[in-house]
Amino acid sequence: MLLKRLGWALFTILFVVILNFFLFRILPGDPARQGIRDPRLSLETINAIRVRFGLDKPVINCFETLNPIKIGSCGVNPLDTQFFIYVGNLLKGDMGTSFYYNRPVEEVLGERLWNTILLIGAGQILAILLGVIFGLFAAWKVRTALDYTALISGLVAWSLPTFWLAIILLFWGTNMGLPIGGKATPGMSSYPFMDQLGDLFQHLFLPTLAYTIIYMGEYMLIMRSSLLDVLAEDYIMAAKAKGLSTFQILKDHALKNSMLPLVTIIAINLGFTVAGVIQIETVFSWPGLGGAIFESVGRKDYPLLQGAFLLIAICVILANLIADLTYSYLDPRVQVD
Amino acid sequence: MKLTPTPKNTSTAKLSVFWSSLRRNPMGLVGLAMLAFIVTVAILAPLIAPYDPKSTSGITSSDIYNPPSAAHLFGTDDAGKDVLSSFILGSRISLIVGFFAAFISIVIGGVVGIVAGYYGGRVENILMRVTDIMLVIPDLPLMVVIIALTKPSLFNIIFVIGIFGWTTTARVVRSQTLAVKSRKFVMRARAIGAGNMHIIRHHVLPLVLPLLVVQAVLTVSAAILNESTLSFLGLGDPTSPSWGQMLNFAFGRGAMSTGAWWVLVVPGFGIVWVVLSLTLFGQGLEQVLNPRLNTHHLMPGKPTVQNGRVDLDQEKGALLEIQHLSIHYINEDKTAARAVEDISFTLNKGELIGLVGESGCGKTTLMLSLLRLLPAAGQIVNGKVFFNGKDLTALSEEELNTVRWKEISIVFQGAMNALNPVRTVGDQIAEAITKHVPAMPHDKLQERVTELLDLVGIAADHKNHYPHQYSGGMRQRAMIAMALACDPQVIIADEPTTALDVMIQAQILELLDSLRKKLGLAIIFVTHDLGVVAEICDKVLVMYGGVTAEYADVDTIYNEARHPYTQELLKAFPDLTKPKKKLSSIPGYPPRLDALPAGCRFAPRCPIAFERCRIEQPSLHAVGAEHFASCHLVEAVQ
Ligand code: SF4
Repeated sequence: MLLKRLGWALFTILFVVILNFFLFRILPGDPARQGIRDPRLSLETINAIRVRFGLDKPVINCFETLNPIKIGSCGVNPLDTQFFIYVGNLLKGDMGTSFYYNRPVEEVLGERLWNTILLIGAGQILAILLGVIFGLFAAWKVRTALDYTALISGLVAWSLPTFWLAIILLFWGTNMGLPIGGKATPGMSSYPFMDQLGDLFQHLFLPTLAYTIIYMGEYMLIMRSSLLDVLAEDYIMAAKAKGLSTFQILKDHALKNSMLPLVTIIAINLGFTVAGVIQIETVFSWPGLGGAIFESVGRKDYPLLQGAFLLIAICVILANLIADLTYSYLDPRVQVD
Repeated sequence: MKLTPTPKNTSTAKLSVFWSSLRRNPMGLVGLAMLAFIVTVAILAPLIAPYDPKSTSGITSSDIYNPPSAAHLFGTDDAGKDVLSSFILGSRISLIVGFFAAFISIVIGGVVGIVAGYYGGRVENILMRVTDIMLVIPDLPLMVVIIALTKPSLFNIIFVIGIFGWTTTARVVRSQTLAVKSRKFVMRARAIGAGNMHIIRHHVLPLVLPLLVVQAVLTVSAAILNESTLSFLGLGDPTSPSWGQMLNFAFGRGAMSTGAWWVLVVPGFGIVWVVLSLTLFGQGLEQVLNPRLNTHHLMPGKPTVQNGRVDLDQEKGALLEIQHLSIHYINEDKTAARAVEDISFTLNKGELIGLVGESGCGKTTLMLSLLRLLPAAGQIVNGKVFFNGKDLTALSEEELNTVRWKEISIVFQGAMNALNPVRTVGDQIAEAITKHVPAMPHDKLQERVTELLDLVGIAADHKNHYPHQYSGGMRQRAMIAMALACDPQVIIADEPTTALDVMIQAQILELLDSLRKKLGLAIIFVTHDLGVVAEICDKVLVMYGGVTAEYADVDTIYNEARHPYTQELLKAFPDLTKPKKKLSSIPGYPPRLDALPAGCRFAPRCPIAFERCRIEQPSLHAVGAEHFASCHLVEAVQ
């Protein structure tokens, strides 16, 4: 079972790699072709790119290029095609050179990956925590004013466009004297560590708040409906018959059971979470992977775009795998060997 | 060949039912009204927009970022244009993209879901794998990549959003199709050789359609959100500015630093309006199609009506004494269901009483009311329950919690559902002990759990297993062990043997009976089968439609039953001496408890009912010492 899941994740990653490669070859804006026309690059860089991507070589067996489609020889050595050179480079950790930064893509993204993880981590933990707590109260006090308030705010939060909420928060935050974006105030690195940390918190505050509001609503709605199902189960009545107090029943019989579906939803949601991160990082100019996607579109920095997409997809697939395994660990009815 | 048609109600009748339940759904109605409003605005857009957003004539630099005024209700933007006009025209783009993209998604998702669900096997496997992959790949970055590599145009945006938005629909439709496929009329159609396409078109699609409509509404809202996001990220069609694009311009062109909040707030408000309206409408539809009760076991119950506490003399009274107990279910805007009316019986130490009647006769309600475990709508409207003289109907929840399980415990019907699936059986037994004897040290506690399991014949090494690892019979035994955990004086066994095979039924009965003798327990045995209790009961109370039909000791019930219902039940009971005799069951069903007949509750099914039975309700007559029956005929005889 574990091996099967692992194999499935690997297969999905492979699929993303293939998709990522061909998307950029089939659609009009081929990165390499674009890049070579890019006047910002020096001749040496262009030559280096040509060699590394093997651009003089066919895209893959039988096809010289894919846009426009030009049939080539099928007899070439597969390892001598662009596709396998690309895969080979990826395996070596080489994702190409960013046109804009003129630095290796993996280097640019490496820094940004951690910033994104910091933002998602903080936001996700808060959203889950608050979502579970509010959802729990809403379900417990079902059909009361508290429940209706929670239900309606959850639906409204669900309907908010993430970027718009971020803009409104930014508008409000700058009036309150919070930093307008980025991760640190320029020149902060010469200050003592505690000051730097405080500065980081100030910068992290608004993006995390936006993230939390957007996802908390959804988690709350899921928790509410899942808990409602659990609380209507016979074993809750049995627990009540045993003389357990309401608090004991919620804690020992309802919480774990109702959180199981939440874990699945969180796992499924990870793909959507990325959508939120792109928007939040864009509005707050947070130097993360999502921001990188937005910026590279504007700058036509295709190698960076390709790399960022690949990295995000792999992270989501891995996180999904972890969530999957957590679920089977939590639920005794699912066996993992 | 003529095919059996799908049981199709006339579609107009269906629609009117649908509409009347939607009318009672405030969420759906508000959503529908909000949606109707914005759709009207979008249709009339060129007529109601005060300015033409495309023309730049007469705009000077002094018009840039003007705050709201009489001339420009929502102010002006970075190009000096009227925000309200751009907003009104922008509604068209959002709605067009939303509807067309959702259309693509719904068609793909619907086809994938139906094909996967209907054909199953390899086809299903492949399709669901593809769906899984699509679900895991983050869609927004992929959309961004594709649109960035092609030309941002309305068509491309619709296409890309549509092509990535079908996964949820496919999953939902597939499971619905699976459910429909196993229905009788679909199986029948297949059996008589109807073609697959025919079955899908005429049998599956009509039943999947309502769900597809809900999905469509929710998909439109997701598509509109996606459109606004892509436009905000600068990937919108520059020739047809949507709300997202207005925000992109405003954000990118200094509205933030100018403090021009109106350019930022107004378009976003539009997006929220549309998405919220669709979400509310979709949720409303969903509730109409799958009504949920929204009640649970932790909701505060209704207070007992006769709340004055009057304890009895503990020395003289019986162990458990139920006096004139009546319970109603009180649901808003419905007639109260009179589930239990005027039931009285007593139970002494070591006695076993059988509570007999068909399902829906109020037995479970009566039993749950003893420990006040009724669902939230249930209310004890009259009567008292005394345990050792203590008035249980008047105790507070905290006081009651010391009686629950410690004195009176329950063996629930269907142990599978009454045991928590994610905790081990041993743990759940130990929990009951810890609650009432908190000071018990850990090793003694574990010893006691092992001893209890041993008592019901479960080996100690099953202690740390989960309920799903047990067999049906074992779970029922475990439930009994749990009921015994705190040495209670009374055990209520609610149909403890239904759904078990005959061998195991006999074992469980024997077990309960031997425990009663060994531990001196008093047992209330709830069952729909008179035969089951014949050998072990002392007394029998036959319930029908919430009232006592007959109450007597077991021999009297079996030999001198006076109530026609008891007599009919006895006929339905297989006589072991005449094994070939055919079982007869009483035709018809017990009355609905919210629509009870005016006269005798058994009258509609009674083989010897006469005029008076339909008008007047019989009262409970004493027919002998400790023998009662509620039938006009009994009274006539006396
Ligand atoms: S009162 Fe009439 S209807 Fe009711 S049980 Fe007796 S005979 Fe039958």
